[in-house]
Amino acid sequence: MTAPAARREEMLPQRKSRNAFALPSVGFIAPAVLLAGIVLYLPFLYTTYISFTDYNGLGDPEWVGLANYVQMFSDPGLVNSLVNTLYWVAGTIILPVGLGLFLAVLSHGLPGATFFRLPFLIPYALSGVAVGVIWSFVLQTNGALSQIVGFFGADAPRWLLDAPLNTFVMIVASSWQGAGVNALLFGIGLQSIPKEPLEAAKVDGASGFTMFRTMTWPMLAPLTTVVVGLSIVGSLKTFDIVWGMTKGGPGGVSETLALTMYKETFITNDYGLGAAVAVFLTVVTVLASVLYLRRQLAPERSV
Amino acid sequence: MKQHHTRSALVAAAAATALLLGACSGGGDEGGGGGGNGGDGGDAAPTELGFFTDKAAWEPQFDEMNAASGDADQSTLSFTGYSDAAAYDAFIKQAFRTNDKPDLFTWHTGGQLGELVEAGLVAETTDLWEEAAANGDVPEGLIENYTYDGKQYCVPLNVVYWVMYYNKQVYADNGLEVPTTWDELMSNAQTLVDNGVVPFHQMNFIFEFVWFQTVVAGSDPEAYVGLQDGSVSYTDPTIVEAMEVWHQMQTDGYFIDPGVTTDPQTLLQTGEVAMANFGTFFTGQLNALGMVPDEDYGIFAIPNVNPDVEAQQAIVETGPLCVGAGSANEQAALDYSAWWMGVDAQNAWTEAFGDVSFNPNVESPDPALSAVVSQVTGPDFQIQKRWLEATPVPIYTVASEEFGAFVTNNGDPMAHLEAIQAAADAYWAEQ
Repeated sequence: MTAPAARREEMLPQRKSRNAFALPSVGFIAPAVLLAGIVLYLPFLYTTYISFTDYNGLGDPEWVGLANYVQMFSDPGLVNSLVNTLYWVAGTIILPVGLGLFLAVLSHGLPGATFFRLPFLIPYALSGVAVGVIWSFVLQTNGALSQIVGFFGADAPRWLLDAPLNTFVMIVASSWQGAGVNALLFGIGLQSIPKEPLEAAKVDGASGFTMFRTMTWPMLAPLTTVVVGLSIVGSLKTFDIVWGMTKGGPGGVSETLALTMYKETFITNDYGLGAAVAVFLTVVTVLASVLYLRRQLAPERSV
Repeated sequence: MKQHHTRSALVAAAAATALLLGACSGGGDEGGGGGGNGGDGGDAAPTELGFFTDKAAWEPQFDEMNAASGDADQSTLSFTGYSDAAAYDAFIKQAFRTNDKPDLFTWHTGGQLGELVEAGLVAETTDLWEEAAANGDVPEGLIENYTYDGKQYCVPLNVVYWVMYYNKQVYADNGLEVPTTWDELMSNAQTLVDNGVVPFHQMNFIFEFVWFQTVVAGSDPEAYVGLQDGSVSYTDPTIVEAMEVWHQMQTDGYFIDPGVTTDPQTLLQTGEVAMANFGTFFTGQLNALGMVPDEDYGIFAIPNVNPDVEAQQAIVETGPLCVGAGSANEQAALDYSAWWMGVDAQNAWTEAFGDVSFNPNVESPDPALSAVVSQVTGPDFQIQKRWLEATPVPIYTVASEEFGAFVTNNGDPMAHLEAIQAAADAYWAEQ
């Protein structure tokens, strides 16, 4: 007899009395389930429905089948938004996550490590739009960065005007904001690694980068999975920094999917097309997260 | 026993749901205000009208308007301001799906008002406009912005004339006179460029279309109007020619680099640009920096590009004040709208805002503004709608991106015009 079955057997006499409370407990749970249904499931289903309609926010949505999806995928602007979004995903994993790890590893174990990491956390307190506005002062024509480049006698590029350069510099701006919190998370991860295996490795002669590559990095994997997973999801819906810096322009060249969704819905008032972009973005995000987490958290891969 | 549990389940569910609903319903009953009768014609007793606007910053001025309307035994407004235009638009549209329809609200002219009219959401104001026209309270041409199928809807909340602001010190330093012809304006610009000063401000977003409307309306007013109903194509020779004028101005270095994101008012104050093609709302922004009208900066009407065009073209933007059809205080709101158009209310408006009024019988307290307004509302001028509101939204969406790219990269005008025309063809084919 297996252990769980044994436990079930033991609990049998109590089942009846538990059952007696089952019905009232449904009553207590119902409002919460209802609330989740109303504020979480229903909007998603409604958005999906709207994506199959022609709707400007007034009157009744008119069913148009897949027309919005056809329009969306035949629009070169959407391809551009998709490419920019992928830049954001790749850039976010390389820069804020990479920098965060770098900072955490460098400061780990030092006396006063918190104080080394603290300044990197301060920008995290700002909203993305504020970060965008501040950085646009730095990056505008004749702005601070152009003046520095000019001081060394070179011609500054048009940071925010030319694509894909504008997307790249915005990723840098978002790293300025996002690296600190990743460093904090990696710092916690490093602290939670048990000391014994590391000491054993040290005895075996590992140190420096070899120690990091063969010992620290694999043992940090669970946390890396969380940080990278969050970064993928976060970067897929990049909106506020771009909105604060270029509004997706000039001429839509720096638009991300989230911006396209917002503009189609609330600026153009084409709710159907905006909803189609939203559904597409949701599918991409869910698919990316599931694929990534499946791969990373598969039992055979755990260390 | 079982019954007892069923009952307690129901009680628990009911109690929890009641709590939930109670928390949700806190913000209801916004549209109404006081009593009032339900729009059955005739004068309604003054009441407090629910008033919604995306101009949240205007609340203090509307407090002053309330003092004026209260004194005149009119309704007063209960002000709800939004600072995010997109959120506001969505809110208003949602409000019409509820029983709390807004009594009075601000909106946008052009296709966006057309949508509301088509859906039967705004009250007709034809009688109000007839009365205002009889009293000389509205300038000629303004009514076009409020007319759908021969009937009027809403009344003008405000009016903005698009004119040229210039830095007087920069003009004096470079020995320039206020131009009265396009050639004089271009020669001023060339002198400024020769002296290392950037002549004109322009932006690659929000106001990227401004020079397009100035050059097209000033070159061929009929073609400018034709673009609005699809009878003229964006690739017609007259439009291409106008675009070439703009292209040449950009090539000649007449505009500030679009990558400069400093506020236009600051750029004009510091003399980094000598002139800015802006709506009269720009006055408020310059005054906020401590600049004095007619001393630090001046205003002039932008001369026609084509000297053969007889009437001087003036671009006018206007925002509507609308009455929600079927709102709780519909008739009282219509009465308020009638009062709003009159001289008393508009005097209070200019006093509160320091701005111009659409009412020709009301003078702005600002000498520079009132001079340019009396000019552009005079007999030699022809009023044109602002391009943004005059253009159907799907065409505007594409065109604003094309103009944004054109301002940024000064590429081949024809490629941009063809892209815009493709959107226009698609739009007009569906009408």
